[in-house]
Amino acid sequence: MIGLMLHELRARWRSVLGWTLGLIALGVTYIGVYPQAAEEMRSLAGLEIYQALGIQMATFEGYIASVVVQFVPVLLGIYAILVGTRTLAGEEDEGTLEILLAQPVRRWQIVLVKAFSIAVAMGVIVVLAGLACAGTLRAFLDQVDTSVTPMDLFLAVLSGWPISMAFAMISLFLGAFLPGRRIASMVAAVVLIVSYFGETLTGMVSSLETIEPVSLFTYFDSSPTVFTEGVRGKDIGILLGIGAVFLGLAVLSFARRNVTVGAWPWTRNRAPAGRAFPSN
Amino acid sequence: MPGTQTDGTVVQTRGLTVYYGRHRGIVDVDLSIRQGEVFGFLGPNGAGKTTTQRVLLDVIRPTGGSARIFGLDCRRDGTAVRKRVGYLPGELALYGQMTGRRFLDFISSMKPSGVAPAFRRALCERLELDTGRRIKEYSRGNKQKLGVVAAFMARPDLLILDEPTTGLDPLKQQVVIELVREARAEGRTVFFSSHILQEVQTVCDRVGIIREGRLLTIDTVADLTRQQFKRLQLTLRDAPPAGAFDVEGVTELGRDGNTITLEIRDNLPRVMEEALRYGLADLETRTVSLEEIFLAYYGNESAGGAQ
Repeated sequence: MIGLMLHELRARWRSVLGWTLGLIALGVTYIGVYPQAAEEMRSLAGLEIYQALGIQMATFEGYIASVVVQFVPVLLGIYAILVGTRTLAGEEDEGTLEILLAQPVRRWQIVLVKAFSIAVAMGVIVVLAGLACAGTLRAFLDQVDTSVTPMDLFLAVLSGWPISMAFAMISLFLGAFLPGRRIASMVAAVVLIVSYFGETLTGMVSSLETIEPVSLFTYFDSSPTVFTEGVRGKDIGILLGIGAVFLGLAVLSFARRNVTVGAWPWTRNRAPAGRAFPSN
Repeated sequence: MPGTQTDGTVVQTRGLTVYYGRHRGIVDVDLSIRQGEVFGFLGPNGAGKTTTQRVLLDVIRPTGGSARIFGLDCRRDGTAVRKRVGYLPGELALYGQMTGRRFLDFISSMKPSGVAPAFRRALCERLELDTGRRIKEYSRGNKQKLGVVAAFMARPDLLILDEPTTGLDPLKQQVVIELVREARAEGRTVFFSSHILQEVQTVCDRVGIIREGRLLTIDTVADLTRQQFKRLQLTLRDAPPAGAFDVEGVTELGRDGNTITLEIRDNLPRVMEEALRYGLADLETRTVSLEEIFLAYYGNESAGGAQ
C-alpha cells in the first residue's frame, strides 16, 4: 500500500507543478496589476454581463473574489476532471491497470489510494497558490484600500479545495463506471459547465433556478462576503459529503466490473439471452 | 505447497464462461493444472487464452462457472491468490515515465514475500536489461524483458505467462524458456499461453488447445502427437491403383512411385490389408508435430494465427 501510494504521488508531481505555477501566475498577476488598474476596474463595474455573472469590480474585495477566488475552483475543476478520469479510465485505456490488478492489492485499496493522492495533489496546488496570492497581497497591501488580510485571501483560495475534490470524485466515479476515459471526460466536463453556469446565470435566467440546488457552485462562496464572513462550514460539509458519496460509488463500480474490457455497465458480465450459467 | 489441493491441482476451472455482452469470451472451460508442471495453452488470437488468464487474476469476472487457484476462489480470495502468482500480460503496458528500476521497485513493494535483490539482478543480467533508462525509451523487446523480470523476480508459486516470448530475439526467447524450465525444476507451476507451437512443444508438459472460446482437448504433448493421427509411409512392390487406400479415416497425402504417404485416423487394419495385397516392402511411421495437430484442430482458414 505504501509503495502504491508513493507511486501515485510520484506520478502526479509534474502535473502538480504545472497547475500550481499556472494558478500562482493567475493570482499573482491579477492581484499585482490591481493598484495600477483600480480605476479602470471600477469603470467596468456597471457592465451588465459582469453583473449577470456576479463579477463585482467596484471594490478590491469584489474584484479579487471575482477573478481569483471564483476561478480557482473552475480551473482546478478542469484539473480534477483530467486527473479524475485519467486515474482509472485512463489507466485502463493505456493498459497499465492490468498489471496493477495482478498484484495482491484489493480493488477498493487501489481506488482509495488513488483518491487520496488526488486529494494531496489538489491540496498542494491550492495551498501553494493560496500562499502565493497571500504573499502578493501582502507586498501590495500599502497600495490597496482594503480590509482583506493576506490570511483572508489564503483561506478564500483554500476554500476551492472541497469543490474541486467533489469534481475529482465525480470524475473518478465516471471513470470507473463508464467504458472509457473519453466518454467519462465528456460527461464530467458537462457536469462542471452546467454546474458553473447553472449557478452564475441564475440571476439572469429564471428557468435555470431548477439547476441551482444541484450545482456544486451553489455551495461555494465567491462573493466578497467570503472575506468578511469566512467560509461556510455547512457548504464545506456538503461538498465533502458529495465527494465522499461519489468516492463510495467509484469504489463500488470498480469493485464490481471487468477491467480491460471497456464495456458499458449494462453489458458487462451478461450472458446472451436464453443462456444461463451457474455462478461460482 | 500450502494451499495446493490434495491431488496436487494448482489451477482448476469448472464450466468457466465469460461473455462480453453478446460476444463470446470463453465457454465452459474445464481446466486442471497440476503442481510443478508447465501447462501450455494453445490457440490463435481471439481464441480465449487471455480471457481465461485474466479471470484467474480477477481482472475479468466470469459470467458463469468457477475458477480456483491453490484451492482458493480467484475472486473472493483474489488477494491471497495473487500473493503467490507472477503475471506477464500479453498486452504489456507499462508506466512510460518510470525507469525500469523504479518499475521493478514498485512491483517489488507490493510483493508480501519480498524480492531477493540478487535474483532480480541476475534476471536482468541474463536478459541483458538496462533498468536505468525510462520505460518510454525502451524498445518493445526491452519492455517485454522488464515484464518477464517483474513476473519471475518474486519466485511465485504460479507463473501465468501470456505469450512471454513476444518481441524477444531468439536468444532471449531461449532465456525465457530456460527460466520456465528452472521454475518447473524448483517445483513451481507455469501456465504458459502461446500461439508459437514450437516453444509449447519444447517446454510444456501438457497442452490445452482452445478454439473459439472452447477447450478442445488437454493432453501431454507426447500423447497428443501419438493419438490424434498417424503418418505412414508405405513402400510397395506393386504400384496400387488410384483410390486403393480410399478408406474412411484415411487420407493419401502423397505418392512417389511405389512410395505412398498416408494420414490415418481410423481403419488401420484395412490399410495394412491393402498394403499387403500390393506387396509391402517397407513401412515407416512419421512423427506428427504439434503444429500438424494444431492445424488439424483449426483447419487451414484459422491456421494463419499459428506460427
